[in-house]
Amino acid sequence: MNGEFGPLDAGGKVPAWQQTRVSAFLMSAHGAWMRQLATTLLMPVQDAWQVEMHAQYCREAETVSLLARATSWVFDPSLLTLAWTWETAWMPQTGTGPGIGPGSHPGADHAQAMKIDLAAFGLALHAAIRPAALLPAAANPLDPFVLALRRIEFESGRLMQAQLRFLKDPALSAGRAVVEPAVERRHAQIKALWEQLVAGLQQKPASAWGSFGQGPFGLGAFDLLRTMGLPFPPSRPPA
Amino acid sequence: MPSIEVGTRKVYYELHGPDDGPAYVLVNGLTQYSALWHPYRDALVTAGFAVATFDLLGQGQSDKPELFIDQSDQVALLDALVTTLGTRPVFLAGISFGGVIALRYAIEHGHRLAGLVPMSTFAELSPQLMLLGAALREGLIRGCVGFLQDLLLPMNVSSEWLAPRLNALDAVKRPGWRINDAYALQNLMESFLDFQPMTQHLSSIRLPTMVLNGEFDFLTPRGLHETMRANIPNSSLLLIPRAYHAFTLEKPALTAWLLTRFAQDVLAGTWPGGGSVWIAPEAAGGVMEPFPPGYDHLRSLPARIATPAPTPSAVKKSPAKKPPAAKHAAARSRAPARKPRA
Repeated sequence: MNGEFGPLDAGGKVPAWQQTRVSAFLMSAHGAWMRQLATTLLMPVQDAWQVEMHAQYCREAETVSLLARATSWVFDPSLLTLAWTWETAWMPQTGTGPGIGPGSHPGADHAQAMKIDLAAFGLALHAAIRPAALLPAAANPLDPFVLALRRIEFESGRLMQAQLRFLKDPALSAGRAVVEPAVERRHAQIKALWEQLVAGLQQKPASAWGSFGQGPFGLGAFDLLRTMGLPFPPSRPPA
Repeated sequence: MPSIEVGTRKVYYELHGPDDGPAYVLVNGLTQYSALWHPYRDALVTAGFAVATFDLLGQGQSDKPELFIDQSDQVALLDALVTTLGTRPVFLAGISFGGVIALRYAIEHGHRLAGLVPMSTFAELSPQLMLLGAALREGLIRGCVGFLQDLLLPMNVSSEWLAPRLNALDAVKRPGWRINDAYALQNLMESFLDFQPMTQHLSSIRLPTMVLNGEFDFLTPRGLHETMRANIPNSSLLLIPRAYHAFTLEKPALTAWLLTRFAQDVLAGTWPGGGSVWIAPEAAGGVMEPFPPGYDHLRSLPARIATPAPTPSAVKKSPAKKPPAAKHAAARSRAPARKPRA
């Protein structure tokens, strides 16, 4: 991964507009994964894999909640279009190839293709995105956003194990020739979106302005109202 | 970015030095990346060699397969890289994980090489190494790349190297932490899950081979290198004083000098080989000493080679047969002391 966040402010914090972009992306991706996990929890827990899925669901909820609270948010209208792109990308995709899809083995194979894609998405989310690796060495180690990114990256290494075990399982009837391309496709897609986002962090967009402060509904929300022309002190200097 | 393509994968490499003449290809260890060979590039190019360094699949700037990395794919990419070097003499050196790949390459494509240098490596998994590898993999899974680095660092280098860096270990680890992805390292480590011992194939390596082992390497200790010395016919085992597993990082000047001297010996036809055992000098340019005759080079203590007492029946029937260890000791005692080169 090339490049780093920054330049940092005097307190060693990542600029708020960069925090906003990064957290919006991560919350979108982890939120989508959390929703997909949730669909597997509708059934009674009877198998070992459901226990693992439940653990992952709870961990993803923590990730989304932590980012919402540890990020210094600013108002960035371009997120509306970006979020649309991201949310579309996270949607389940059915793999294609020999042994997969309605063309060869209707029914059961299609279901397996869905499982493979879900696992590939979870794996790519935790393997291809390394937000902490983009923190400059001088980043304040006690800053909540910095701590959050490090925690997410650290947990990702563990969370991907369930997907790795499933996708590497020689008993998976689709076979390596089918699984590998499906995983590579998801990995390339998510990596490309992440790198696109990181490339966009080189220059502050004119559309990002104001500050919500830390947390989704923190005191800084008054800033948004103030920038809309409403006299709501106190104000926070935009990062 | 210079790259070669192997199948659908792109492999990052660097090639420096003259367009003709002998070349060295250097193969990374598990968590290494090509930039760590820069001191070797500079020293070997100055000595007239071309130097090729690269990132293995799953490392640094090369492609990182998401699920599986076969060691045969690493051998294939190495072959593609050697092909780009043309017909000149090629010397292949690899450390640790890279040493395993180098050994595999020499077994399968030895005719394309002029010399081989396995460093801190192994041809088979001893129970200790197997358990250590499993523990390191578990460490990576539970604690990610940073924890794996924490485990490896004290095994790899000496306290003397670490002492002045203790307050800046984050800076030491940061480049490797940033460039290595946990899933890719895990895939590299799991390429050993179906590892087949190479020992029975080592005798097919007819190349001049210099086996390098750090005196204090407890990750891949002397016995693992002895397998190579004992089975590769034209090999010598060279012990690096006061060195640990990653002596290529800690002692680049000495190691680059040893690589240079090995290649020059081979090209001049003066490589001793023959299973001899040597002690490297403390610094580049020093004298290489043969391991003292009569002592067991597999021991840490200066233990004399045990000669089993002949049984009474053997004494009556025929003279006791010389054990293999005694034969090696005799070979060592015949090896002449080597003078330093200018």
